[in-house]
Amino acid sequence: MTSSLIQMRGVAMRFGGKTVLDGLDWEVRRGQVIGLLGRNGAGKSTLMECMLGLREVDAGAIALFGEPLGALSDANRARIGYVPQKSDLFEWMTPRQMLAYFKALYPRWNDERVATLLTRWGFDVLDLNKPIRRLSGGERQRLSIIRALAHDPALLVLDEPVSALDPAGRRAFLGELIDEVVERGTTIVFSTHILTDLERVALDVAFLKDGKIVLQGPLDDLLEGAHQAQGGVRTDSLSLEQLFLEATQ
Amino acid sequence: MATLPNYLFSITPGSSDPIYRQLVDQVRRLVAAGQLAPGETLPSVRDVAQQLTVNPMTVSKVYGLLEVEGVLVRRRGIGMTVAGQPRDKHDAPERARLLRPILERAAREARELELDADTVVALFTHILKEQS
Repeated sequence: MTSSLIQMRGVAMRFGGKTVLDGLDWEVRRGQVIGLLGRNGAGKSTLMECMLGLREVDAGAIALFGEPLGALSDANRARIGYVPQKSDLFEWMTPRQMLAYFKALYPRWNDERVATLLTRWGFDVLDLNKPIRRLSGGERQRLSIIRALAHDPALLVLDEPVSALDPAGRRAFLGELIDEVVERGTTIVFSTHILTDLERVALDVAFLKDGKIVLQGPLDDLLEGAHQAQGGVRTDSLSLEQLFLEATQ
Repeated sequence: MATLPNYLFSITPGSSDPIYRQLVDQVRRLVAAGQLAPGETLPSVRDVAQQLTVNPMTVSKVYGLLEVEGVLVRRRGIGMTVAGQPRDKHDAPERARLLRPILERAAREARELELDADTVVALFTHILKEQS
């Protein structure tokens, strides 16, 4: 129970007459780095939003850090970092103002880390002082990631965090995630369609389909176990892409 | 007993070989070929993870498996080192065995490409000469 950092039981959610989550059960243990996979429209973003209490569910129970979502303490709430797929908030603020605003909300804020990341990811004085709406998609996404990492979260939830980044930007981001894991043992849940990125970082994967988690396990085991199910004729394991296609069929 | 550079390894994500298995195979081959000599220290888990941008747990798993296999030895205060006596350089069948999985894969792809054996062997011979 205590090792379970995210716990979802029978979570149901209908949206515009369509069932998005259908009695979904899911558990993520402390320290897991888990990739959430599913086809477009499978409900990955909705699942993450429900998990964080950003959307009301129609049924089911959700607990984070062992506390029911409805009664989540401020201390635990401040240990969550979230990068939404698309953020249109705070567009009128400059990055400097936005970061100062968030700093005031969190008891813990790693100024040094923020400064390092801003420099490393190419934010100059000019960028820091212009409204966020005038930054490029990639710059906004990087800023959103910096904001999510700034308070050294214990749980990091990332929804397509690199969709606007070029390969160099993605690699730099993955490097930060590796550091997170090495330095802090952060629990990470992230969705992406870039499977090669996922393979580098995620040790576990979960597949969302028809409103449920239909398959979950250690990535290596799933890749290697899949061929045994086929009668052991293959000597190769599956690639993650093949596994994705099979699991989400 | 120099520490080896951490760019020793390389990986190809997206292949049908999981990353950990690619690394296990690489170390085995380097040791079998004598490119990693007994006693040499391997780069730390953290360095390899950061260099390759892979989860450190994956690197730990690789080192752990190779330790169980007896290819590597964990030494206190030093880290992972290459095990044991220098392998007998004449033990060619043993070393050839390590090449088999990768050749099996190549053979399968050759069949998929409908290449005949002579063409493939000629190509492989050519590549061997190129690299030497």
